[in-house]
Amino acid sequence: MTPLLDLDNLSRTFGAHRALKGLTLRVPQGLVGLLGPNGAGKSTLLKILMGLIEPTSGTGRLLDVPLGGDRDTRDNWRLRRLIGFMPEADALVPGLKGIEYVALAGELYGMPRKQALRRAHEVLTYLDLDEARYRAVETYSAGMKQRAKLAQALVHDPAVLLLDEPTSGLDPSGRDKMLNLIRELGSLHGKSIIVSTHLLADVQAVCERVVIIAGGELRGVGTVDELCARRDDRFRVRVGGDKSHFEDALKAVGIEMILPTAATELRVVLPPGRTTLDLFRIAAGCGASIRAVLRDDVTLDELFRTATATGAA
Amino acid sequence: MTNPTDPLLRYRPWKGELNPPVYASLAMARSSLRLLFRRKVFWALYALALMIFFFFFYAQYLVVWIQQQAASQTVSVGAVPVRLSELTKFLDKLNLNGSPHTFGNFIWFEGHIVMIVLAFAGAVLVGNDFHHGSLPFYLSKPIGRRHYVLGKLLGIGAFINLMTTIPALALFLQAGLLYEWKSYYVDNFPVLLGILAYGLLLTVVLSLLMVATSVWVRRTVPLIMIWSGVFILGRTVANFLVEVQNFSPLWRLVDLWNDLYLIGLWFLQADFGSNNLGSNPEPWQAAIVVTVLCLACLLYLRKRIQAVEIVS
Repeated sequence: MTPLLDLDNLSRTFGAHRALKGLTLRVPQGLVGLLGPNGAGKSTLLKILMGLIEPTSGTGRLLDVPLGGDRDTRDNWRLRRLIGFMPEADALVPGLKGIEYVALAGELYGMPRKQALRRAHEVLTYLDLDEARYRAVETYSAGMKQRAKLAQALVHDPAVLLLDEPTSGLDPSGRDKMLNLIRELGSLHGKSIIVSTHLLADVQAVCERVVIIAGGELRGVGTVDELCARRDDRFRVRVGGDKSHFEDALKAVGIEMILPTAATELRVVLPPGRTTLDLFRIAAGCGASIRAVLRDDVTLDELFRTATATGAA
Repeated sequence: MTNPTDPLLRYRPWKGELNPPVYASLAMARSSLRLLFRRKVFWALYALALMIFFFFFYAQYLVVWIQQQAASQTVSVGAVPVRLSELTKFLDKLNLNGSPHTFGNFIWFEGHIVMIVLAFAGAVLVGNDFHHGSLPFYLSKPIGRRHYVLGKLLGIGAFINLMTTIPALALFLQAGLLYEWKSYYVDNFPVLLGILAYGLLLTVVLSLLMVATSVWVRRTVPLIMIWSGVFILGRTVANFLVEVQNFSPLWRLVDLWNDLYLIGLWFLQADFGSNNLGSNPEPWQAAIVVTVLCLACLLYLRKRIQAVEIVS
């Protein structure tokens, strides 16, 4: 199967600043989360993927279409027809009705006028905006605006969707709705989706794979399950009674503790040879009581912090 | 049981041939016109433009009718007998005789309405794309930046032509029917070309100027101030310098609307000796000013639109 992204030593410099430093990665089709702190090079990568800027060196392909070239060339227009882009900015055209906005997007992608209009009706119905289609887009709520932006990206039925902060500004129910839509488009309708976001929970909720970049370098790539490995030696321990004595007793027997979390909770790493039974024994010995022992796998959040702070994940 | 409308609610794939990017410019032009005609407040101005057209249309008919059928007759105004031909003297300044000046004057008057609408509509058509971040919506599509500018220019150009060139062509058609139509149309064929050229000139200059100023200031009030400065202050300053201070007529070149009018009359092959056009610069001098202005607008647009960040 053609990979979604195939980058080979892709770099981009702006004067003396190196925004991307030799990115090499191969990502299969599916739902991909693009993660990175501010200034990591995410936007530069998105611009290269859309054919808006050229890489300074290296090569790349998106669904087997080569990246690069000047931004207003036939090749780049071909590339952009493959992609439906949902920008982070409002990107609505005040004064136009929802149906006109989406149909205009279809025509901008090159669809014939009547087909663009018919398709706009279909997409708005699918995104649950059918009743608001004759309302001016500027009167939409935040959730409706996000869905209208998704509709304009979907109108020409692209193979790839590039979503820039798709849940930005949404309330919890709007966010769930949007994430469900993204999941459904990826899993049921075979769209490859690249979600660029700061919200790790969103990525964890919908993406199969994650690409982490920081400082223009690739810091991690793989499936969410691979990266967020199960840890059989780490536990969250909810403690009742004298917590400080319990902590001292754990330290005394060589059990390591990481990052304090809540007032009544400890995160512990058991050394080889120790089991969770030892925790109960130690607690009983120092007058504390254990109310729960929970698994403490590596979260995407933790992985992201580690990867962006130190190096490769 | 499955609801028969279920398939309509599901996502459906689409397959079809895609048009080249120039079709996107046409779509943008259509949506610009839609935005212009959707604003109810502009309809008062459109009505005024229509009134000017009807005034020229019926006045031209009246003048010809009086000249040809009732010029020697007299009517009583109060108790004073007045020749019918004298009654329409006040229309002489407008040259309502199917001559090049008829169409030049008509476009001159209609142009004022166009300018007012464009001053108000700049923010709606172009400024909002920058102000409300709509530009990434356009430029993330498979079109070049030149297609975006072309789309906006086409929309504004179509509006300008609807307000000036097309009614002027209707007046030309009417003028022919009022005289010996065959010989009128044959003899005045250059006038027809002149009307089209004048319309094209207004389209190019005003649409470029409007897009450039809208990209620059984006909001309605500053836009109105700039357009007032260009078209009203420019004329006031030119009149003051030439007529009060007796400076060279070349100073009239600062009046852009007058420059366009002079070039328009040149296209229409009008007689510059008539219609009090004596103290004006030559049309070629006006053409230089207008060309420089257009080039400046193009360079500015190129610079500003190249700098737009689609992914921020």
